[in-house]
Amino acid sequence: MIEKLQIIHPEMALFAATCIVLLIGLSGRSALRSACAPLTGVALLAAAWLGLQSPGADSELMQGMPFPGLLPYAKTLIALIGLLILPMLAGTVDRSYEKAVERGEVYNPMRSTRGEFYAFFMLSLIGVMLCATADDLIWLFLALELTSLPTYIMVAMSTSRLRSQEAGVKYFFLGAFGAAMFLYGFALLYGATGSTFLSEIREAMAEPGGAGPMAMLGLVMVIVGVSFKIAAVPMHFYAADVYQGAGTTVAAFLAFAPKAAGFFTLLILLGAVGWTHGPNGDALPPELRVILWVIAALTMTIGNTLALLQTSVKRILAYSSVAHSGYMLVGLIAGPGAGSIASNGLAAMLFYLLCYGVMTTGAFAAIAALERRAADGGREEIDSIEDLRGLCRVYPLVGWSMVVCSLSLLGLPPLLGFFGKLMLFTSAISAGEIVLVVVMGLNSAVAAFYYLRLAGYPLLEQRHDEAESPTLTPAPGRRLAACVAAVGVVALVVFISPLQRASHEATQLTPLPAVVEVKPASEAEVARR
Amino acid sequence: MSLWTHIPGAFSTLAATGVDAGVVDIEMGRPLFLLIPALPALAALLCGLYWALGVKSKFPAWTTVAALAGSFAVTLVAYFEIAAPGLTHVVHGFRWINIAFGAAGGERMLFVADFSLYIDSLTVLWMLFVTGLATLIALYASEYMSDDVGPGYCRFFFAFSLFVVAMACLVMGDNLLMLFLGWEGVGLCSYLLIGYFFKKPSAVNAAKKAFVMNRIGDLGLMIGIMLAFLHFGSLRYEEIFAQVAILQQDGGDLAWTIKAIPYLLLVGAIGKSAQLPLFTWLPDAMEGPTPVSALIHAATMVTAGVYLVARMYPIFLLTPESLTLVAWIGGLTALVAATIGMAQYDIKRIMAYSTVSQLGFMFLGLGVLTSVGAAFHVFTHAFFKAALFLCCGAVMHGFAGQLDLRKLSGVQFMKGWGIVGVAMFVGCINLAGLPFTAGFFSKDMILAEAFTTPGFTALGVIALLTAGITAYYTFRVYFRVFLGPQHFEPGDELHGHDEHDHDDSHGDDGEAKTHDDGHAHDFHPHPPGWAINTVLVVLAVGSILAALAYVFPRETGGWVKGLISTSSAAGAAHHDHEASFFGLGDPHKVMYYVSGVIALVGIAIAWWLHLAGRTTAATSRADAIKQKIGPVGRWAERKWYFDEIYDFLFRYPLLIFSHIFYLFDKLVIDGLVDLFGRSPRSVGAGVRPTQSGGLQNYAMGMAGGLAFIIVVAWLVVWRMSS
Repeated sequence: MIEKLQIIHPEMALFAATCIVLLIGLSGRSALRSACAPLTGVALLAAAWLGLQSPGADSELMQGMPFPGLLPYAKTLIALIGLLILPMLAGTVDRSYEKAVERGEVYNPMRSTRGEFYAFFMLSLIGVMLCATADDLIWLFLALELTSLPTYIMVAMSTSRLRSQEAGVKYFFLGAFGAAMFLYGFALLYGATGSTFLSEIREAMAEPGGAGPMAMLGLVMVIVGVSFKIAAVPMHFYAADVYQGAGTTVAAFLAFAPKAAGFFTLLILLGAVGWTHGPNGDALPPELRVILWVIAALTMTIGNTLALLQTSVKRILAYSSVAHSGYMLVGLIAGPGAGSIASNGLAAMLFYLLCYGVMTTGAFAAIAALERRAADGGREEIDSIEDLRGLCRVYPLVGWSMVVCSLSLLGLPPLLGFFGKLMLFTSAISAGEIVLVVVMGLNSAVAAFYYLRLAGYPLLEQRHDEAESPTLTPAPGRRLAACVAAVGVVALVVFISPLQRASHEATQLTPLPAVVEVKPASEAEVARR
Repeated sequence: MSLWTHIPGAFSTLAATGVDAGVVDIEMGRPLFLLIPALPALAALLCGLYWALGVKSKFPAWTTVAALAGSFAVTLVAYFEIAAPGLTHVVHGFRWINIAFGAAGGERMLFVADFSLYIDSLTVLWMLFVTGLATLIALYASEYMSDDVGPGYCRFFFAFSLFVVAMACLVMGDNLLMLFLGWEGVGLCSYLLIGYFFKKPSAVNAAKKAFVMNRIGDLGLMIGIMLAFLHFGSLRYEEIFAQVAILQQDGGDLAWTIKAIPYLLLVGAIGKSAQLPLFTWLPDAMEGPTPVSALIHAATMVTAGVYLVARMYPIFLLTPESLTLVAWIGGLTALVAATIGMAQYDIKRIMAYSTVSQLGFMFLGLGVLTSVGAAFHVFTHAFFKAALFLCCGAVMHGFAGQLDLRKLSGVQFMKGWGIVGVAMFVGCINLAGLPFTAGFFSKDMILAEAFTTPGFTALGVIALLTAGITAYYTFRVYFRVFLGPQHFEPGDELHGHDEHDHDDSHGDDGEAKTHDDGHAHDFHPHPPGWAINTVLVVLAVGSILAALAYVFPRETGGWVKGLISTSSAAGAAHHDHEASFFGLGDPHKVMYYVSGVIALVGIAIAWWLHLAGRTTAATSRADAIKQKIGPVGRWAERKWYFDEIYDFLFRYPLLIFSHIFYLFDKLVIDGLVDLFGRSPRSVGAGVRPTQSGGLQNYAMGMAGGLAFIIVVAWLVVWRMSS
């Protein structure tokens, strides 16, 4: 039994660190308090390493799971993107309070939020990892909520301004609404199949007539409910308001963690349904395919068109993250394909998640690295696209990170985003989803409009007024995160083949064992006899 | 990059996927040959690195020369291992594209393209002169571009190396998609290099013109490639040739979509090789630095069209009418370009029109079924035209950008210009087709075949006339610039006199302008240094020795013939053996005398008009003739108004349309976009002030969305069950 814990070793490491961070975050000694972030970093490194050691497809423990090879890829990916986001969290909370303490104010643990901030950050990541590990509906629900609940609080505490608290509350209520939706879906699914275990649900669905209306309604509700996590239409409304209200650093985290959790959930649940329907026997059941199709097409289109006329960089990036969810859904629709890497839509989705995590973190980190004079005389994070003017000349590292990451989000070859998108395209073509590919292509073209603005303002425009222009924040970690992400966007291109192969192996679907038992006749049939 | 890691496993992949069927005996080649594109690619990367590091020496040039020389050496190995014994090898690099697709329920199709090389004698012939000339011209450019040492120098050699990579893809690719990749790649490099002096508006315009005109051709090529895939289910040469062979045996009617393929490919070839009606970009492309003109716009890239036709010869032979069109396009282009060349004063432009004209000859050769003649002419032309361009470049370099033949005279006898003069003379006799030169033999093969093939006599006469005109305008340049009284006026780029920026000193129109006399007095032409002279000597000797390839080795009827006859371009010529040149006998024999005499007459006229009794640089006896024929000379000088006609027919209507569309876009589309874009924002702004209002709205939206999705799902189920 104890060896079963192997599958949650990374979570355990993170949780241990979470407990320590909670404690030392309250310490009266500032040196110990400031050890929170490094400790989180060490824990994430350990989690990444343990994630690599996670039991894979060849392990006994994973037999019966739909995706036996998923864990090493998923956990390492989550830990590493977390590690990328971590340096940019520096200076998000307690900045003014720590200054006051330095000036001689008496330290009051009640006013310090540092420990809980990093603890919530790790708890949320634990939630994402648990989503990928789940083999049971209850577990899945708890994991999803573990991902989201800390983020509600992180949003509220991310700045001292009122609008962050407003965003946090808004996010919480709407999140609860979404959670209710997919919980209802889970209940229906349990009602239809009689089990909460994914492996049993899978077998029940594979039986003739197993995917009945109730199970389908349940799945539809789950998909729509989880759409909240991935900010897909029709659950995308909150994204722009919440991202804008939250501090930039937390917005970056929101753009990745809940989204990853949502996609892992969809992957696992749809894996339980299987891509065995349709005329060629390689598609989702038609009703699921159609609603995912509609959601994907609407999500990318609405996301991109809403981003077009925005002038707030955070809102642009929020809508861009909506649009990217639409792209990734295409991979889910395409399914596991015929065996080659290029036709594996699930691998494309996972690979794109990696690309997206790096690119979007880089873009957020670049704007988080800058601040400007606020109306009340203090310093505030920049938000307007005007603040990006001439950045490449004044702060070349930050400016170029912004340019490279936006161009990669746009999908310009030879950057990382291009290869991610290419894989989605090839898998969708292989699955015969030509219309969806066209929609996606058109959307990529539309998206160029605002991504090129994000790249053009730093690169080509001139600054107007030096005094009013933004300056670097005192937290160098944010610059570091931006640069690392930008370098990753360029350098990971070299490792595309192994990464794609890894995502391909992670998404190998266990074939269902042939149904040998004869199903006992149902009551209705008995009555007919 | 990472994709190269697949190379070691190449054979197993190929065997596993079972792509080794074909009619010709095709063997797996050694991965060594992948170095031919890889070495220049490495050089391009290094030049980019030098640029980033801010290298301010001639390092980029030496890197490029070394890499290209390496490529040439590997090509030589390929020649001795593959081409000389008449084999065909395929070298597998990596799987490039592998997509299975098909409509739901329909037939699944596989689209597979490998990064593989198809090496046969045609490929090797092309790569020999591409890599060889590229090496020499890079050496030449190391000196020629020395005024730009720094970022510009890195940029130049980056694009130069990249061009060779793209050309290698084009020529050596084992499928049409690789050819297309290279095709676009050389187009891009050509664009970058024509626009090298990007501060000069005329250079930028020329670059754009070349790019746009090539797009027209590329569209044809692309549709042709798509049709080929649709019909043959593959883009690999060996599979296409196998299927074409079957079609040829079966005979019978072909689908019009197959018949259209050669015509569409021809459109591409016309664009790239500057044939009628898409030839006007090539003369303007002379805005680029001269080494670029020599390599890309004379010797190699522009022959890509000829290569395409030669490579896909089996498809062209399937519909012989398409070859008739090839012949007529070639013949007419040769004549029109030659007549324009007669009337130009800018020596580089004369050479450009002569390139267009000679490419016309090559197309004519392909059209009259002498692929050997065409390939031989490509080969000899590459040498002597490169030599001619480089001589013009040396003159331009030495006389501060002066290219007007009315302002230069007697250069041959100036101190330090002897080698340039001799190399120019060698190039000129080749281009003019003086007997026993390489150019004479290769042109003769095409001329003779035009008279041998039934139905092409009229074209033969046109070609003979063109040959005469060619001899005249070639020697017009030589007699005006290199012989006669010594005189010069420098151009407006005063190299080496002060440190001013090369790019900025140009006038607006890029034509060499006269300067006030003050400049001329302190100006001393600086003769070429060792690099330029060495290259010129090698090219001149090469041009002379190329003639031997017509005669030796005797068993195969000449070196080029031996190479071509073992490749897919070996044409099945149906000659009329009874053919006679206007009753004088076998055209193959008579043509030696006829074309020799015509060349000599052309040269003699040039001598009489432009050298005999000429005392100044600016005037000659030809001026009087120009007076007499009135406006015709001016028409020719203005290129028969081709540009103006195109402007009238295409550019202005397109401009008008674009203005209409712009207005439509501005008023209707933008309005709609604004409407769609702004409405959510205004709605958002409306509900934002009250916190609870926003929340409820969002929740309403989410619930409504759920309802909508459930309805959609229900509709799907309902439609399926009914």
